[in-house]
Amino acid sequence: MFNNRVFAVLKRELRERVMTKSFIIGTLALPFIMVLIFGFQYLMISMEGDSGTSIVMVSEIDDVMQGLKTEFSKKEWVKNGNYILTYQTMSEADFETYLDEHKSDILDKKVTGILFIPASAMQDKQVKYYSKSTKNITLEERVGRVINRVFIDNYFKDKGISQSDIRFARINVDFNTFRVTKDEGFQKESGGNLALSYIFSFLLYISLLMMGTWMMNSVIEEKTNRVCEVILSSVNARELMTGKILGTALTGLLQMVVWLTPIVVVIFFELPVLPRGFIVNLEFWQVIYFLLNFFVGLITYLGLFATVGAIFNTPQEAQSGVTPLMMLIIIPFLITISMIKNPANTLAEVASLLPFAAIIVMPARMTVTDVPLWQFILSFIVNIGTILAIFPFAGKIYRIGILRTGKKPKLKEVIKWIKFQY
Amino acid sequence: MHALEVKNLSKHFGHVKAVDNASFIVPEGSIFGLIGRNGAGKTTTIRMMMNIYLPDSGEVILRGTTVGQEFRNKVGYLPEERGLYKKMKVLDLLMFFAEIKGKTGDTVKEKAFEYLEKFSLLDRKNSKIEDLSKGNQQKIQFIATVLHDPEFIILDEPFAGLDPINTEILKDIILQLKKAGKVIIFSTHLMDFAERMCDHIAMIDNGKIILSGSLKEIKERHGQRNISLKYDGDISFLDGQPIIEKVTDFGHATGIRVKEPGHSQELLKLLIKNNVIVKSFNADEISLQEIFIEHAGIEEKEVTKSEVPYV
Repeated sequence: MFNNRVFAVLKRELRERVMTKSFIIGTLALPFIMVLIFGFQYLMISMEGDSGTSIVMVSEIDDVMQGLKTEFSKKEWVKNGNYILTYQTMSEADFETYLDEHKSDILDKKVTGILFIPASAMQDKQVKYYSKSTKNITLEERVGRVINRVFIDNYFKDKGISQSDIRFARINVDFNTFRVTKDEGFQKESGGNLALSYIFSFLLYISLLMMGTWMMNSVIEEKTNRVCEVILSSVNARELMTGKILGTALTGLLQMVVWLTPIVVVIFFELPVLPRGFIVNLEFWQVIYFLLNFFVGLITYLGLFATVGAIFNTPQEAQSGVTPLMMLIIIPFLITISMIKNPANTLAEVASLLPFAAIIVMPARMTVTDVPLWQFILSFIVNIGTILAIFPFAGKIYRIGILRTGKKPKLKEVIKWIKFQY
Repeated sequence: MHALEVKNLSKHFGHVKAVDNASFIVPEGSIFGLIGRNGAGKTTTIRMMMNIYLPDSGEVILRGTTVGQEFRNKVGYLPEERGLYKKMKVLDLLMFFAEIKGKTGDTVKEKAFEYLEKFSLLDRKNSKIEDLSKGNQQKIQFIATVLHDPEFIILDEPFAGLDPINTEILKDIILQLKKAGKVIIFSTHLMDFAERMCDHIAMIDNGKIILSGSLKEIKERHGQRNISLKYDGDISFLDGQPIIEKVTDFGHATGIRVKEPGHSQELLKLLIKNNVIVKSFNADEISLQEIFIEHAGIEEKEVTKSEVPYV
């Protein structure tokens, strides 16, 4: 099955794919885009575009005013001048006149807003905020939290309650989660492994679809170019198919290694780029398993995509054949997403042992739950079995299909091809 | 021993019998023509010879042994439907086609340069195929066919799309290849072309070989009974004459077939006796097209004009 002709085809596939601009850009761009998305979110959260916010704080109660002054001045975003706060104490009646006089300041954007804390706020925590844009979540969160703190301090001040009691009342419940595994006891966990399972299945999904589509288009191109008859005068259909699949699979593997390297490096060398408390548990054998499983998956799906390509004459025509194939990738992908809510999902467990689905579900599952060894073995046997089961048919259809041109064949005809002696 | 022998080859697709018990011999050192109209079974026969299709029955024998991968490595095949990888560079493509025939290294590269030089394409060796003109792509295709120094060359309509100058270059190369002892097999539906180039032929029609052998012998055999006539006057009296088998009007001349080889002299006497002015009477020459029509003519009525490319 493997000879110098297969090797020549394989080499050509590898060179024609890897040495293209689109491959290099695509491979390097994906991690970059992922980092960019994360980075952008981080940037959005940290900046939130609120530098230069100036708020006038008006309070009826002087004690509250003093409290606000001390608390706000401790904040980083006030110290660094992102927020400029001014404080005034006046009665409600005076404030109304003040507001009338300073309305134009708000309209001219001299001040972002005016916040009024009436005396009644000490009972109902109701404050008034006047601004051009009133739905400012960051402002409500940041400023509101400080105000609440001052209110609580002020409220309990004279009631003989210790600071430590107040602090306890203030903090929220925090879930510290531990994953129970058979051999290592308890592992402290955060959302890290869920994120990892998501990344794993996402990469599998992207790569299988991308490589599959490439494969299909390349088969269609050879067919419409009529180059395949020239090739078939030297190489038989099986050798051609083997060479093409292995060449494309190696391309996919190379791409996946490029994609995984930054992730693996960050996790194994515990580089401090992840948020604090974000723990990811990943074993080296899992990475190897992932790549091995991916390679087997590529061979399976590339075989199917090549077969579909051989049946049709144009990528447009091939859409009808590709849809069921896409489903074979998308449905398992959706099952892995459902695991994010509950990793011990029975559906996921079953899917990780089914043909086609196992390829996508198992890697995601192994990162979030402790998968028994027998399931790994069974899943692998199922994957190999799938390859052995589909290739005799796929090869036959491919062999016949690549020399067929003319009108789009019907499903019935394709089934008939399998019975042909070619 | 023959260079190549096709023995009782049959192939059907569904209900269609594409090739039906075809047998012919390709002698060493010959230019061989596989002739027939479109859809006659030429490509299927060649595909079976190339091991692209498995025959239902029969075999192809290469110098005494059944063909396999060994034959493929020795063959250069230029199919009717040409094709190249459009995105590949000229030299990379040529090297790839040689590599799948088992030829690699500097010798092949030098040879590729030689051929490119011959076709004045050396300066385009790093161009992408899609950037070449159609004619130049044809030349590259031809180089790819012969680069690995094949012993057998199978060409399907090799001159289609080439300008006169390149046609001459290609003809020279084919004759050189023949002198070098290569076996060249043409598959074509152009009768006059086959007549000029081939020394052995096999005619295929409806999947059956209807005639095969040395072109010279075939023509001699048919020429004795066939007369090409140019005349003034009325020859309708020939109908019903006992020596006449058939009269066919070819436009430029009339083809008359007599029943026995000796009847041609009687025909001439008959014409003169009936006051027909004979301008040309050729009992020696017959075109391959006439022979083909004589043998495959039964199906003429089924063939619509668009399906008769050799007219």
